[in-house]
Amino acid sequence: MLARNTDRLKILAFTLGSAALASCLLLLASAPDFAAALGQFFIAPIANSYYFGNLLAGMGPLIMAGLGVAVAFASRNFNLGGEGQVYSGGLAAALIPLAFGGSSPWVAVLAFAGAALTGGLLGASSGFLKRRLGIDELISSFLVSAVAVLSVDYLIAGPFRDGTSNFQATTPIASGLAFAKLFPPSSLNGGIFIALAAAGLGKFLFDKTRFGFELKLCGANREFAAYSGIDSGFYTTAPMALSGALHGLAGALLVFGSYGAAMKGFSAGTGWNAIAVALLARNDPAALIPAAFFYSYLQAGAQSVQMGSNISSEIMAVIQAVILLFVTAGALPFRMRGKGTRR
Amino acid sequence: MSGQGTAVVLAANAVSAMTPLLLAALGGLFSELSGTLNIALEGLMLTGAFFGAAAASATGSIFLGMAGGSLAAAILAWAYGSATLRLKANPFITGIAANIFASGSAVLLSRRLFGTGSVVTFALKAVSKPLEPALGGIPILGAVLFGQTWIVHASWLAAILSWVLIARTPFGARLRATGANAEAVSAAGFSPDRYRLAAIVISGILAGAAGASLSLPLAAYVPNMSSGRGWIALVAVYLGFRKPWGIALACFIFALAEAYSNYAQGFLGLPPEFILAIPFAASLLALVVGTVAGKVGAGRAGKSVG
Repeated sequence: MLARNTDRLKILAFTLGSAALASCLLLLASAPDFAAALGQFFIAPIANSYYFGNLLAGMGPLIMAGLGVAVAFASRNFNLGGEGQVYSGGLAAALIPLAFGGSSPWVAVLAFAGAALTGGLLGASSGFLKRRLGIDELISSFLVSAVAVLSVDYLIAGPFRDGTSNFQATTPIASGLAFAKLFPPSSLNGGIFIALAAAGLGKFLFDKTRFGFELKLCGANREFAAYSGIDSGFYTTAPMALSGALHGLAGALLVFGSYGAAMKGFSAGTGWNAIAVALLARNDPAALIPAAFFYSYLQAGAQSVQMGSNISSEIMAVIQAVILLFVTAGALPFRMRGKGTRR
Repeated sequence: MSGQGTAVVLAANAVSAMTPLLLAALGGLFSELSGTLNIALEGLMLTGAFFGAAAASATGSIFLGMAGGSLAAAILAWAYGSATLRLKANPFITGIAANIFASGSAVLLSRRLFGTGSVVTFALKAVSKPLEPALGGIPILGAVLFGQTWIVHASWLAAILSWVLIARTPFGARLRATGANAEAVSAAGFSPDRYRLAAIVISGILAGAAGASLSLPLAAYVPNMSSGRGWIALVAVYLGFRKPWGIALACFIFALAEAYSNYAQGFLGLPPEFILAIPFAASLLALVVGTVAGKVGAGRAGKSVG
């Protein structure tokens, strides 16, 4: 066990090192002034208060959606529909306050519940199809999400568009409802506390409850879990639904925290980034916090270097690919069809 | 336009729209048979579309464009496939990595080579239609089957060759055995990993050609122009019973839906977002109906890679 943990640390160090190295190589290849770009990428996010605020603000949705990914992965279900769940959950969170009006905290609670329900239904649909028909949730969740993204695109640009704005966005929610900015002009807001609390709750759920125990058991060995009398079908539908709900909440955090409305494309890859974060954290809810910090640090670095030296934001995509390529090396996040889990 | 004329135009458009799907799905088939669902098809297609455009704009040759697209995607497939196998990494996660790398690197390279991260157009002659002069005059079939470009005909040839390779050669038998029972392949003295890697590289060659078959007839590269076809191709592998002829049929049905929704957009007045969503919704629906009706078997097949 000990040896295995050191192996995992080695793989993690290797992954993070490769990501940093890839960043350097990309800057070397594309930046006119390598030293300055290096400073902007690695130093500015922690030295410049504006970028540091954005770094912390970026962590909230990543932790929340990352928890959603972890719930699915820990039970050996692949939710590839996170992007559509974040996007449609965020739209629900933006529309509910408009329907009710006012800025009572209950409206905010209702908006978050609506976001969770919307994302949860999308996730549950794939869980249901897998449980009842054996349809691969990896493909169905992607297809459902693709339809959801395009439908939300339509709703934001069409029926729910704020006619007074030049942006393709819904009417902003009441300013009293949106989370207070903690550190203007950066976008750091109170939503980070909700995400941290969710990570804490997730840790409790995973390690201290029967649900968490059975969920992880199903992830480790579904056949054994079934022999032990666990309803393993339940641990297909429930984790997919919970995963979708948490992604929906991440969308609500983006709307209430950063944007104040649902803008076209606001989810901006959060669902995919969350996969990288959850894998870096090895599906451990507490480890999501440092993993989200690291990931957000790279994002803030990419944002800062882009402002400073005319380099396209696509370097973040390449760095993300490097992380995903190495992060599951050797030890899989769950032993998919490994030796003990033959079907 | 007469009813029959409309039907012929729709069928001809479907046959042409089917080509990228068919090539990508054949690629997915090789990987599926070796035991891994290849979710990198989307990224491999995009790489093929971009490098196909780059090679064709540099050389002026459509053939070299196709070859360039295939080669680039094969290299990406080899890199991600061998990394996955050597590191014993999770193939779905590395597949996502390949997809993200493909779209990011295409924009980076597009800025370098073409000076823009957006739509790239270039001068290229129209793709020739070799059978049209001789056979295009046949009623209905002439327009539908023979009024097509050589790339379309080449995709049919690829389907036949894939069938031969899979069903009629020792390589194909060992490839299928790798997916069905890797231990038996090892016991017989062959390396399952070599067959897995070969399958991924073949996936890359075919998906790369699929991508180039999108960009070359347009003489343009549009960011993310594969627009989810790699995923729909994966569904076609399931719906086609993991056989080339079945896959061709599934791809034709999807392409017909695509052609019809493009045609219907005019008079139904649907918003463009819904038109774009139709292929995804249709393939989801087909997956559900196919599973309920025919037990298509849309679960992940085969044995471990890790």
